[in-house]
Amino acid sequence: MNTISRRRFLGNAGLLGAGAVLADGALRGARADKPLNFSGWVFKPDTVKDYVEFYNKKHGGQVKYEAIPWTAYHPTMETRAFAGEIVDVMYCNHNNRERWYENGLIRPVDDLPGTDELKKKMTPANLDSLKSKDGSKLLGLPYFTSLFVLIYNEPMLQQAGIKAPAKSWDELVEHCTKLKRDKVSDTPFLPNWNNSPSGTMPQFMTDCFSEGANVFDAKNRVIVDQEPGAARAMERWQKVYKANLVNPEVLTKTSSTDTHRIFWTGRYAYHTNHSYYLKTIAGEPENSKLAPKKAKMAMYPGTGQTYMWTDSYVVNAKSKAPEDAWKLTKFLGGNLNGDWYVQRQWCLISGLDNPYPEMYDHPEIIASYDRWIDLKLLREQYKKGKVIAAYKEPWYGEYDTKAVATVHNIIRGTTTVPKGLKDLVALQKSLA
Amino acid sequence: MAVPRLGLRAVRLSEASFARLLVAPAVLAIVAVVAVPLAYSLWLSFTDVNLLRTSGAAIDLFGMRLPLYRWVGLKNYLQVFSDPLYWDSLWRTLYFVGAFVIEATLVGLGVALVLNERFPGRPLMRSLLLVPWSLSRIVVGLLWIGILDFEFGAFNGYMQRLGLLTGSVAFFKDGFSALNVLVSVYMWNQAPFATLLFLAGMQSISEDLYAAAEVDGAGYWQRFRYVTLPALRPILFLVLVLCTVNGFLMLDLIYILTMGGPANETTTISWLGFQTSFAFFKFGPGTAILYTLTALCLLLTLLYHRLILARFEPEA
Repeated sequence: MNTISRRRFLGNAGLLGAGAVLADGALRGARADKPLNFSGWVFKPDTVKDYVEFYNKKHGGQVKYEAIPWTAYHPTMETRAFAGEIVDVMYCNHNNRERWYENGLIRPVDDLPGTDELKKKMTPANLDSLKSKDGSKLLGLPYFTSLFVLIYNEPMLQQAGIKAPAKSWDELVEHCTKLKRDKVSDTPFLPNWNNSPSGTMPQFMTDCFSEGANVFDAKNRVIVDQEPGAARAMERWQKVYKANLVNPEVLTKTSSTDTHRIFWTGRYAYHTNHSYYLKTIAGEPENSKLAPKKAKMAMYPGTGQTYMWTDSYVVNAKSKAPEDAWKLTKFLGGNLNGDWYVQRQWCLISGLDNPYPEMYDHPEIIASYDRWIDLKLLREQYKKGKVIAAYKEPWYGEYDTKAVATVHNIIRGTTTVPKGLKDLVALQKSLA
Repeated sequence: MAVPRLGLRAVRLSEASFARLLVAPAVLAIVAVVAVPLAYSLWLSFTDVNLLRTSGAAIDLFGMRLPLYRWVGLKNYLQVFSDPLYWDSLWRTLYFVGAFVIEATLVGLGVALVLNERFPGRPLMRSLLLVPWSLSRIVVGLLWIGILDFEFGAFNGYMQRLGLLTGSVAFFKDGFSALNVLVSVYMWNQAPFATLLFLAGMQSISEDLYAAAEVDGAGYWQRFRYVTLPALRPILFLVLVLCTVNGFLMLDLIYILTMGGPANETTTISWLGFQTSFAFFKFGPGTAILYTLTALCLLLTLLYHRLILARFEPEA
C-alpha cells in the first residue's frame, strides 16, 4: 500500500488550496463586468422579463431580473445593501431616491457617456424631478412619469342630459348632485382617496394645485394653513362626502389600482386618478364596462395643474461592472437601442408615459393611445403637470404616510378644515 | 471487571456534564437563530438606526456585518410613549385581541363539541375544517375582499340577485366596522386550529367520567360544565395564549384589507411597528414599539397561567 508522508500531504493540500484561490480570482476577473443584477417592484414582470431577454440577446448582456412586491420593495433593497448584496440596477421611486443617494447606495449619472444628450431630450420639470436636492446631480434615468387626470363616464352624463364634462369644481359638484338626485348614480364621484402613498396625499396636492394653492414653500415647509386654495379644496371634499356623493369605502382601499377598478363598473360619473389607469378603464373591454372609450379624459378643473412625478432606474454606487450597469440603465430609461425600445413598450402596453416628448410624435404611439385617450389633451395636461421638491427631504415619506389620517379626518368632518390644515403643518414641523 | 485500554485517554464526565454536552449543539443552534436576533433587535430599540450606514463600529457574525448604531438610551421608548397614535393603537389592539380571542375560543370550542359527536360525514367535516387555517393570510385577505367588497363582492352580488338587498352593504365604510371585519376574518382563519386543539383534548377525556356523570343524572350541559370544561383547562390555556399572541402579532390582514385606514382607525400596534420600521425606516422606534408588544404578550401569558392553570392538578 502506498503511504503518503504528512509533509507531502500538507504540501499538496497547500498547492490545491492556492490553486483554488488563484482560479477563483482569475475567474472572478474574467466575469467581473458580465453578470448584472436588476431588481424592480412587481408591475407586469412578464413584460420586464421579455425586454431583459431582448437585451441579453441583442446587447450581449447577462442580466438577472428579480421582481419584488411593491410595498416591500424599498426596505428590501436597503436590507440587501445592508447585508452587502449589490444589485447593479434598480427601480427607485421618487420618494426614496434622495435617501439612497445621500447614503451612498446609488451614484449620480451625470459623468456617464450619453447623459447630456438624454438630459436635452427630457422635459425640464421631469429633469428637475430626477435631480438631487441641491439640483447638481442627476440621480437616474426615468422609468415612467405620470400625473393626475380627470376621467368621466360619457354615457352616464348623456343619460342625465349633461352635454359636456365639468370645467370647474362647482360644475362637477352640481353634476354629481343632479346624478344622485335623479337616481342615475348612488355615489357619482370617485376621487382617489385610498389609504396608500399613491392615493390620498397626491390627490390632496393635485386638488390644492388645481385651486391655485401651494402645498410647500421654497424651503419645502408645508404651508397649507396659509393657502385659501387648500381650504377651498378641503371644504369641497367635506361637502361631497357629507352629501354622500362619494363611496366611503374608497378610504379603505389599499391602492390606486383597486380604486380605479371601481370605475370599471360604470356606476360612477367622475374619477380622478393617475393618467395610465384610463388605459384599462377605456381600453380593456374584457375588464371594464366603460371600454372602448366610453370613459374619457377632461382637462383638470380650476387651474388645470395636477401633481406629476417621475420614478426611475438607478445605478448602484458599488456595482462591480459600472459600465455594463450604465449600458443597461440607458437601455431601460434612455434610448440605447435607437428606437426607445423599453420606454415605447411601457407606452404601448400600459400607457405609462415618459418625459421624452419626441416619442409622442411616433405613429405607433399615436395609434395606440388613440384607442383609449385623447393624446393631444393628455399632452396639454402634462404641460400643466406640477412637480414638488419636498419629497427629497428626509422627513417626506413619514409625513406623506401620517398625513393621510389627518386628511381623512378632514374629509369625514371629524376635524374642521382650518384645524386639519394646521395639523398638517404641525406634523411636518414635528418631523423636520 | 477489567476495562479494555483504549488508545485515547479516557475522559470521565459526570452524568450532568454528559447531558449538557449532548444538549449543547441544540442550545447553540437556538442561541444562533433565536437569542442572537432577539438580543440584537433589543439593542436596536436603544439605538439610532440607519440601515444604509456602512461605516462605524460593527460586529462580524459568521461573515455578516452587524453595525452597532449610536446608543440613545430610552429615547426611542420615550418617543413612542409620547405619541398619541401609539396609545390609540394600543387600545385598538386590546379591543382587537379581546374580540378575536373570545370569538376564536367560543367558535373553536363550539365546533369542537359538534365534531366530537358521531354523525355521518364527520371525517370529511374534520378534514375540511382545516382548510381556512391552512391558507396563507394573504390569500385569506384576498378571498374575503372577494366576498365583502362593495362593488365586486360575492355577498352583495348574491344578496341583490336574491332580491334581499337593493343597494350594497359597505363593510369597510368606517374604521370601527372595518376593525370588526378584521376580527371576524382573522377568527375564520384561526378558529379551526383552536377546534383541533379542543377536539384533541376532548378525545383524551375518559368515557368512564361521562358514564359516571350520566349515572348521577347529569344532562348534556351539566356533563359539559362539570366534566368536559375542567378537563379542557390546559387546552383552554394553550388556546388562549396562542390566540392572544397571534392576535397581537396580526399584520398581514391589515396590510391586505385596510392598510390601517381610514384615518388610522384600523391601525394596531403591530401595524404601527411595521410601518415605523419598514415605511419610515425608523428601526429604533419600530423595534421599541414591537418590544412593548412582546412585554404585553408575556404579561398576559402569566395572567392566563395564574387564572387557569394555577389550581390545575394534572392526573397522576
